[in-house]
Amino acid sequence: MKTRRYGMVIDLDRCTGCGGCMVACAAENNVPPSSPRATVRTGLTPMRVQPVSNGAAGAARREVFMPLMCMQCEHETPCVSVCPQQAVEVDKATGIVTQMPQRCLGCRYCMTACPYHARYFNWQDPEWPAGMEHSLNPGVATRMRGVVEKCNLCHARLHSAEDKAAARKTSEIDPGDYVPACVASCPTNAILFGDLADPGSAVAQAAKSPQSFRLLEKLGTEPKVHYRSNRPWVRALADGRPGATQEVQRG
Amino acid sequence: MASVAVPDRQWIARGVERTSASRFATLLAPWFLLLAFGLYSAYLCLRYGLNQTNMDNRFPFGLWIFLDLAIIALGAGAFFTGFLVYILKMKELKPVLNTAVVVGFICYSGAVGILGIDVGQPLRSWFTFWHPNTHSMLTEVCFCITCYLVVLLLEYIPVLLRNRQLRRVPSFLIFEHRFHMLVPVLAGVGTLLSFFHQGSLGGLYGVLRGRPFAFREGFAIWPSTFFLFILSAIAAGPSFLLLISSLVEKITARRLVDTAVLRRLGFISGILTAVYVVAKSVDTLEWLNVTSPALGFAPWEHYAYKPFGTWLMLAEIVLFGLVPAGMLLHPKTASRRGWLIAGAGLVCCGILLNRFTMTIQTLALPTLAFDEFLSYVPSWQEVASFGAVIAYGVIVYSVSYRYLPLFPREKKEVNHVSGR
Amino acid sequence: MFPGVDGFHWSFGHVLFLGLFFAITLTICGTVVRAIWSSVRDFRTRRASAICWDLEFAELPDEERRCRHELAGRVAERTCPNGFDCRNCSEYEKFACLKAVAPGGTFGLDYPAGRLYHRGHTWVEAQSDGTWTIGLDDLADHLIGMPDKVDLPKPGETIDANGTAWRVRKGRNEMRVRAPMDGTVVETGGPETGWYLRVRPDGMPNLRHLLRGPEVSAWLSRELERLQIQLGTAGAGPSLADGGILMKGLIDAMPEADWDDALAATFLES
Repeated sequence: MKTRRYGMVIDLDRCTGCGGCMVACAAENNVPPSSPRATVRTGLTPMRVQPVSNGAAGAARREVFMPLMCMQCEHETPCVSVCPQQAVEVDKATGIVTQMPQRCLGCRYCMTACPYHARYFNWQDPEWPAGMEHSLNPGVATRMRGVVEKCNLCHARLHSAEDKAAARKTSEIDPGDYVPACVASCPTNAILFGDLADPGSAVAQAAKSPQSFRLLEKLGTEPKVHYRSNRPWVRALADGRPGATQEVQRG
Repeated sequence: MASVAVPDRQWIARGVERTSASRFATLLAPWFLLLAFGLYSAYLCLRYGLNQTNMDNRFPFGLWIFLDLAIIALGAGAFFTGFLVYILKMKELKPVLNTAVVVGFICYSGAVGILGIDVGQPLRSWFTFWHPNTHSMLTEVCFCITCYLVVLLLEYIPVLLRNRQLRRVPSFLIFEHRFHMLVPVLAGVGTLLSFFHQGSLGGLYGVLRGRPFAFREGFAIWPSTFFLFILSAIAAGPSFLLLISSLVEKITARRLVDTAVLRRLGFISGILTAVYVVAKSVDTLEWLNVTSPALGFAPWEHYAYKPFGTWLMLAEIVLFGLVPAGMLLHPKTASRRGWLIAGAGLVCCGILLNRFTMTIQTLALPTLAFDEFLSYVPSWQEVASFGAVIAYGVIVYSVSYRYLPLFPREKKEVNHVSGR
Repeated sequence: MFPGVDGFHWSFGHVLFLGLFFAITLTICGTVVRAIWSSVRDFRTRRASAICWDLEFAELPDEERRCRHELAGRVAERTCPNGFDCRNCSEYEKFACLKAVAPGGTFGLDYPAGRLYHRGHTWVEAQSDGTWTIGLDDLADHLIGMPDKVDLPKPGETIDANGTAWRVRKGRNEMRVRAPMDGTVVETGGPETGWYLRVRPDGMPNLRHLLRGPEVSAWLSRELERLQIQLGTAGAGPSLADGGILMKGLIDAMPEADWDDALAATFLES
């Protein structure tokens, strides 16, 4: 199988902030319901839609909704080098930053290292109300308390795409077979997903557009999740002064 | 062999005075209560998970990590005094060596205890050894601190075996004697381990590319914080020893350590603090003008959030760095106990402040344009758990002081500091 | 951690890191193993007793380490640098030829002239068959009175000079009586017999370190002075300075006195 670099280009001009991607992600990845003690900052949201405003008041106020997840950093991936027991690595074949919850000690050093706040800790034992266990996705292992998790580009779906390719006796997976849950659920098709290493793919071409940007490029992490917008103030969010815009936390 | 219990007095060395056993128990009782309460808090965290703390996804490190780093830095007196006595042959520091070993043991065992509840899955701690990531500073910290805790335990054993009753067992006495001859080897190993882990604790923050407040360039794989943390630890270690020795003297109303020894400790601490101030100032200037702007952050942006203003940086370098260095080195003040203690206290506060800013301020600061500056207040479970460490330290040291010959001068002359 | 385990890389950094770790671990283990091995060897070669005595002697306060020649008035002031082992003392001859100045008399205590006395308050006496009897001297006997329990070594066991000869328990005090000479135990006695052990030494024993003649009286005088100070806090009974004589069974008579210190100093325990 050829080496791929799976990435995304998220069109912020299309995102309506409906949050469907968050729900789809939680369903696909067996994210447990929040406990009553959970707060906005202890919730588990591998996909998180953040409302961001331009900081102006009254009629000049503008808002954008930014879906945030693991940026799948390619260069000197901050979380990979800091994990004390190699529970995080960049998969060479796909470019996906994988996380092994079974090996995770729960030291949370990777969470300190991630500038995108893309990593989430299981602050409590997962509990599913009676009967809900029937809705769990059998392809995704549940995690225990005390480990870190994050978006892994729906790795289970990649595996099933690979299984299908193997059944067809081909080595290349059909791009249509591997669609992460958030991408599939988006009603406006705001998230474009694919192989950035394939110059012909839609996502690779969208990433090259001048309206595309990545967050915190100056850090040199080379994230594979791109955003695009026609609005200059949105593009300025990429490297904007931290804390520059007022924002309301979405619970 | 005696089948009747040896009375308490015979566990205490000849020629020294100690309070009665019942009064000792009474004095320690509140510390045992604190220890029990703290252990209960720790149990809650282990039983119910880390939601018992106020840490969250934006503050993955909190009070425990900050205090762990602080007590490890303060406990650096153990290895550094050992290094000075056994490797550099500074025999005049021998009187505080036993205290240094006990304090070091307390600090490291307490820190490791807290780390055991701080991680989400403590039973997986051995994974770091089995699958080490040699790129990670935390792996280095893990390996070194484990080895060093073993070294400290081994250094504590001869001190324990000098107990009056334990000495009467010939095999203990012979073993202590033979082992004591090899302590310089342990001191050397301890020095090597400590340099590395004190540094790596600084490296923990210095490599965080995603946190421009903490990120530093450096030498090879080691950011400048690696060296700064070593420097600040060896500066604070002797100061902390000075403080503890003086505190013990005050509580026991005895002169246990010659003023000359305290002056020497103060002098060493003063010199190292002065070097640290210079190094830290150079590093800060480099960071403000070169490193941070390269990552997209204008120099003073980091200090734009109340209450973490520039006063923090100035306090760390001037109030808790330059000032105590002056106090500990200036001839007029360096010869007086009061000034030495004040200077040492300020140095130790500097350590606390430095570890605080690196842990808490780093995490509080926003990294993305739409981040907020956040605050975090530890929960009572976190505070109480750390209270257990303090109580544990007081109990271990008190029991060691009572039953072990920690201060050689005491046996030579029994005299009183105040007229008590 | 080891080749073959997931995550092991044959990279310079990885190998260097683990190499250092294993080297350090081996060094640490090495020190412990070495210390244990040296200790075991000390016991096997029967040097343990002598080493223990040297270490304990070093912990005794200066007043309890006065050279016998100072006690005997041959020299003004001298702390013994040798663990009371005059057999190996280079200065012994120099002092021994000087005249002893002693108060004379044994303060009402029984110190027969034919016996030699150890600083730990035991005596030895040669028997005709080549064995030597060892007993507790009269001062110690007066202090202890009738012991509650005596732990004697068995016949066939060896005792080393300055090591433990036997243990005595009285009340809450357990004392370790030091052996005055080396030898193999042939027979044991007890408080009733007036002697405690009969030993056979290896060949002709060197007993130069034991006190004899006028030294005994000088030594006793110092010991009684010391006891007076140590027990005097209880403030009981007439003191020797008043011409009083030491009474038997002093522990029973003065239970409230600080016997811990007094007995430790008497039996040379640090």
